[in-house]
Amino acid sequence: MTVRMKIMLVWLSLLMICGSAIAEPFVQGGAIGSQTDDGFNALGPVVEQPIEFPHNTHAGQMGINCMYCHTYARRSAVSGIPRLDKCMGCHKLIESVKDKPRIKKLFEYWEKKQAIPWKKVHDLPDFVRFNHERHIQRFYFREDRPVREVCGYCHGDVASMTTARRVKALSMGWCVSCHQKDHLENVSTTKTSNGPNDCWQCHK
Amino acid sequence: MSSSIIDRRGFLRVLGISGTAATLAGCGNTSIESGVELVESYVQPEDFVVPGVGVYYASTCAQCGSGCGIMGRVREGRILKLEGNPQSVISGGKICGLGQAGVQVHYNPDRLTTPMMRDGDGLKPVSWEKAGAALSARLGASSPISGEQIAFLTGEISGHQRVLLDLFMDSFKSTNHVVYEALSPAIGQAANKAVLGVEQPVLQIDKARLILSFGNDFLGTGPSPVHMAAQYARFRKAPRGTLIQIEPRMTLTGANADRWYAIKPGTEGIFALGLANSLVQHQAYAHALPADIASVLKLYDKETVSELTGVHADTLSHIAGMLWENSPSLVLAGPSAEGHANGFQNVAAIQLLNLILENNGKTLQGQPAHPFPQLEPARSSTAALAKLDALMASGQCQTLLVMGCNPVFTAPAFVHFAKHMEKVPFKVAFATQLDETANQCDLVLPLLSPLEAFGTHVAGYQPKGVEVMIQQPLMERLYPETRAFGDILLDLLKQRNPTAYKAFPDYYAYLKTAVTKAKPVFKSSASDDDFWEDALRNGVLHLELPPTGLQAHTEALKLGKPQVSESDTQYPFYFVPSIKADLRDGRHANLPWLQESPDPLTTIVWDSWVEIHPSTAAEMQIREGDILSVQSATGIVRVKAYLFPGIQPDTVSMPLGQGHSQYGRYANDVGVNPFKILNPIFDERTGELAMYATRVVIKKTGENAMVVKDEGPTNVQQGRKLVATLAADQAALAKEVSRVTQ
Repeated sequence: MTVRMKIMLVWLSLLMICGSAIAEPFVQGGAIGSQTDDGFNALGPVVEQPIEFPHNTHAGQMGINCMYCHTYARRSAVSGIPRLDKCMGCHKLIESVKDKPRIKKLFEYWEKKQAIPWKKVHDLPDFVRFNHERHIQRFYFREDRPVREVCGYCHGDVASMTTARRVKALSMGWCVSCHQKDHLENVSTTKTSNGPNDCWQCHK
Repeated sequence: MSSSIIDRRGFLRVLGISGTAATLAGCGNTSIESGVELVESYVQPEDFVVPGVGVYYASTCAQCGSGCGIMGRVREGRILKLEGNPQSVISGGKICGLGQAGVQVHYNPDRLTTPMMRDGDGLKPVSWEKAGAALSARLGASSPISGEQIAFLTGEISGHQRVLLDLFMDSFKSTNHVVYEALSPAIGQAANKAVLGVEQPVLQIDKARLILSFGNDFLGTGPSPVHMAAQYARFRKAPRGTLIQIEPRMTLTGANADRWYAIKPGTEGIFALGLANSLVQHQAYAHALPADIASVLKLYDKETVSELTGVHADTLSHIAGMLWENSPSLVLAGPSAEGHANGFQNVAAIQLLNLILENNGKTLQGQPAHPFPQLEPARSSTAALAKLDALMASGQCQTLLVMGCNPVFTAPAFVHFAKHMEKVPFKVAFATQLDETANQCDLVLPLLSPLEAFGTHVAGYQPKGVEVMIQQPLMERLYPETRAFGDILLDLLKQRNPTAYKAFPDYYAYLKTAVTKAKPVFKSSASDDDFWEDALRNGVLHLELPPTGLQAHTEALKLGKPQVSESDTQYPFYFVPSIKADLRDGRHANLPWLQESPDPLTTIVWDSWVEIHPSTAAEMQIREGDILSVQSATGIVRVKAYLFPGIQPDTVSMPLGQGHSQYGRYANDVGVNPFKILNPIFDERTGELAMYATRVVIKKTGENAMVVKDEGPTNVQQGRKLVATLAADQAALAKEVSRVTQ
């Protein structure tokens, strides 16, 4: 191997290290359940939605459980957008806000029987399969943690937002950092286990 | 030196930039996104709809005539995958590869999305109003055509679609419903009827201790491959049954056999009579046959039979010995034995063995009579197409309607079907996708895919009791301009006879009424709605009926001196068209999954080839990939050579199904069409096309191209002896048979 080739290899290695650093600028750390800086905070863009849905009113002021509306989260890989008749189930009866522009818009969609074209805020690459059901069953039902904390691991404190905005990097390093931690198997034991670290658990 | 380093740097730079860009561009969403895509949401879904969780609906597979019950996994309103329906006796909860590919019929990018009408040389999209007006003008209430002036050409069709079609033809006082299947089993059915008393006996493969099959590919292309594969699995469990296959070219079933013997095409009946001769000399079977037949059988001594068939005389003795050692047995005839000028006699001779061995009632039974014979599939034949062809050629046929078959592609060149079709002034095709026949029509109407439409099916082969299979939509229609075949027919019937059909707003209403009327037969006391809901949920209406007996008729067998076709110096090779389990007669060549699935015996994909025995190839100095011309008296094709040991040395074989020119992006210009070189030779008894009787000459063209296949070099496991093999005549067959004949 010539000297020039060796130099090239050194440069290549440096380039690879720098490259990975650019792709993953955060250092690992922070406790599970923390919505504070765990080293993976990465604020996403503001996403303009057809209706500026006030999560802060519903989940914050009124303290409605996230899964009252996002009912599929405990049953399916996706948490799902609530069905329109779920919104109407309450809002048909709430006279006090009927004249507000957001609610008028909601009624317009309902009268047209048209689904509201919400935009995805937390959209993982197509080669990643994240399963809501597994995480909700483990942390909400078996570990009996508060719902705002469990959903908040990934989604941040949505109860303080209007429309949702991404707050975490959603990167593989971030997923793995949590999967490597020891988690209680359920609320009545001290036994712990890690999340799976097989490639195919997420990349199918 | 330095320039090479720059080259390497350049290479890395290119790899780093354009390589990544190319990879990302081809993979959809590859990064974490916010606010780019929309989320699917619902307004008022059914309670059981959970996004991300599949729901299964029962339906019926329409990929072949077996009528397997299927379950479709539907998620977010889209059909994703098909499985077998355990409620169906036919499929037993299983499904084959051909069935799996049913979703590609539905999602095919070449689907017809609007009606098409001839405008000059080509077909142009038109509205349904215009298409409907053209249809009404010709076939509506004031249509003057009747009788021989109209013909409806379909593939095998059953259920209420067939009922409506029959009513439609009745309204024109016409009997010209022509059911044409290029791979029709009509010769075998006629011979079975003559010898056993039924066209299609029910086979009890799992009850047999020994199966002797003359080219019957029951695992690949038989009348109900999924059901028979399940029976075959039980047949192979302890005590393990033995399978012997005799055929000119190895089929998938042949590849699974314990003993496989190559035989000269068309001599299967002679071999069967040779076996019969050996068997009746055994005391137990000496009186199984009438004296006149037994005396003629003496002419079929094993030396004569061996000379004519090319199978060793000792092999015949061994097989005869195994047959009487292993009772009950089952002797089967298949397409390669049927498709000859003496095809009927071949099958009759093969069924004679079942009579001698007293397999009737044990491994062969009669199918119970169907309580709704009007729903049963109309029997297909190739002779019917010849009749239609003559009708078109004479100019009598004024209107031709086509659904579910493609004779421009499958009819042999000597029929001149395409040319005669031009003489018909008004031709209508009902299709999900344009094919060669639809492209010649004046009006093409886009149909719903089988995964979008309601319907009923009745399989020609009913293994246990009888079943009416229910087909229901597994998802909303993809294209709003497509319609159900039943709805189009019902509309035309309403125009012709408004009072009779006014109770049915659409085909669904007709179907529901018709199915619920059958309630008493299925001994149900449920309400009409409950009965219908149950039928949809189960996907099948099953009626347990005992099998019927078979009646032997040996007089159907006309025995003479053993005769065989003379050798032909101009066309020295027998030509065996092979039926692929997935492409069949070519109707599935538009499904890329099936094109991509390697052929089970050669592992070749996306192509046609001609199989030739290695010893013959060595004599002619032919190597794999050499482009050969395969010429018969009626046509010529150019195709790559593939050296294949599972073939009789005087025979060459080509797979059917390829060679399309107008069947969408996946089928066009892939391989060649062997149907076009078949000679006009017909079974003497039934008049059906003898598909295996063509003779060809092969010549090298001097060109060579790579054969694309999964297997590595064919030089016997590259000398590593991974699997030890032994030629059949070297195997110690005597160990399997305690008593050796004669």
